[in-house]
Amino acid sequence: MLQYWTAILTEATIFGVLALGIDMIWGWAGDFDLSAYAYFALGVYMTIIMTVGKAKAPVEYVLGWHLPYLLAVPIAVAVVVAFASIIGAIALRNLRDVYFSITTLGAVWAIYYGVENFTPLFNGYNGVFGLFDPLGGKLSYNAYHYFFFAFCLLVLFLVYLVVQRLSRSPFGRMVRAVRDDERAASVYGRNVFWAKYRTYLVGAGLAGLSGGLFAAYIGAFNPLDWRPTEIFVLYAAILVGGRGNPRGVVLGSFIVYVGFVEMTRYIPSPAARPELGPALRQILIGLLIILMLKFRPSGLLPERLGTDGTSARRSWRTWFTRAKFLPDPRRDDVVAEPLPRVET
Amino acid sequence: MTTALLEIEGLSKSFGGVVAVNDCSMTIHEGSVVGLIGPNGAGKSSVIDLVSGFEQPTSGRVRFAGVDVVGKRPDQISRLGMIRTFQTPREWRDLSVIDNVRVGRSDLESESLWRSFTSARRLRRQEEIDTAELRELMEHYRLDDVRNARAVGLSGGQKRLLEFARIAAAKPRLTILDEPMGGVNPVLGERIGEAIRELKNAGSTVVVVEHNLPFIEKTCDEVVVMDLGTVIAQGRFDELRDNKRVVDAYLGNDDE
Repeated sequence: MLQYWTAILTEATIFGVLALGIDMIWGWAGDFDLSAYAYFALGVYMTIIMTVGKAKAPVEYVLGWHLPYLLAVPIAVAVVVAFASIIGAIALRNLRDVYFSITTLGAVWAIYYGVENFTPLFNGYNGVFGLFDPLGGKLSYNAYHYFFFAFCLLVLFLVYLVVQRLSRSPFGRMVRAVRDDERAASVYGRNVFWAKYRTYLVGAGLAGLSGGLFAAYIGAFNPLDWRPTEIFVLYAAILVGGRGNPRGVVLGSFIVYVGFVEMTRYIPSPAARPELGPALRQILIGLLIILMLKFRPSGLLPERLGTDGTSARRSWRTWFTRAKFLPDPRRDDVVAEPLPRVET
Repeated sequence: MTTALLEIEGLSKSFGGVVAVNDCSMTIHEGSVVGLIGPNGAGKSSVIDLVSGFEQPTSGRVRFAGVDVVGKRPDQISRLGMIRTFQTPREWRDLSVIDNVRVGRSDLESESLWRSFTSARRLRRQEEIDTAELRELMEHYRLDDVRNARAVGLSGGQKRLLEFARIAAAKPRLTILDEPMGGVNPVLGERIGEAIRELKNAGSTVVVVEHNLPFIEKTCDEVVVMDLGTVIAQGRFDELRDNKRVVDAYLGNDDE
């Protein structure tokens, strides 16, 4: 049982890194990107083919190096970012909203079918595999999995620190201003494309990094493992946790991956209808998205507002205002008659 | 004679067959408050879009602060020291009110990805120092009580004031206001007139596009009148009151 929990928590941790990347692109910059799963997959493929050595017929793939894992992952991330820089340059230059999404959707399916059908690249439909153990068998099978979980947790924690730091920095604020109103942002001297593009590349890099972790976790990867529609599970995680709030996104990934994806495995399927369980799981995730949007659209931990550090004081004022003990500061006549300031 | 901050020469713009701006020329001098008036469809907003880089002219020249700005992006023009507004207030809706002003104020270098990561602590300390100044600004524009709230929840009037607070924080050389009095009550109107004078005192040149002529008369040093895509008169408001072309443009001409 412990191994089972370790396995699903490892998976949730890896997808937490991916969700943090997607949240930068969608939560901060407002671009509903659908190609992030391709960056994740590319990260997995690149990490595997750079670590497991030459392909043996009939398996075929490019490179086939024997690099140490900790070197392969940064290279994989670099390749992913280089790749995203092309798709991002096309999709972000002039396209926004649904047009941006359609372009990235086109990109991800083109990559998907390209990888599936062009066998020399990543062995096509059958995928790449190789049992690799970054530690070279120094630990027992179980100990290795506990260790790897701890490693993933450490990576998630470091990524969270970086993302949180950026989120609260002038950069994070500027990207959100661009999200809320591009024209106003450009009036204040912000290069809209450059702001979105940088965020996109960092987000794609995190997707590549999570792919690098997933490669070591799963050890084999083929197109069945990365149907591009799976990205909606990640969007569900971001919505549940709190779009634009790194802490919320991590929380959401654990809730959705541990609570929903894994727990719903136990939904029994009658023998005559084996597809019922998986289908019910999709329905439950859809239901989760709908309920969240209805009752708590900004997530469990909403995006943090940048304040002047006195928000605690504001909260009781807000309460009194709602209870109509104080005039509503949002009314227009506050301009003519300012509220008395309350000093604490 | 003060120096010319904005020079427009022979500016034209057509959208398909429609000529929106036709051989328009004007000069805005540093330190003045200029009203840009004219009937609906005179091309006032088109001129602003051309000057601020949101549209590209068919022909003509625009020089701002000695730099030829035709062909530049809006953000490049803005970095030369020009800020414009739009007919409706454009606040960053999911940022807090104080963050809206912070973005207006902050220097672009601190927003580099690298510096935001490596000098995060130093930048935050700097912001804490700046916050005192921003709170004064908030108080001045009567946004003090809502400064930590999401900007989307502000009333229409407060959004107008937020726009002014943001401009005041950015300290531009030229401010172009596109109908700042749209949908504003008379009390707030007074405050906006005051805000424009304050911008001038802070060293900004101001161009105001407005239909409210009493407001223009009270606020502006000089008036530019446009009709049919070109400038038909420029001068002090009381001089233009009797100008036949101006009167014709507003009231229609029986001779035609």
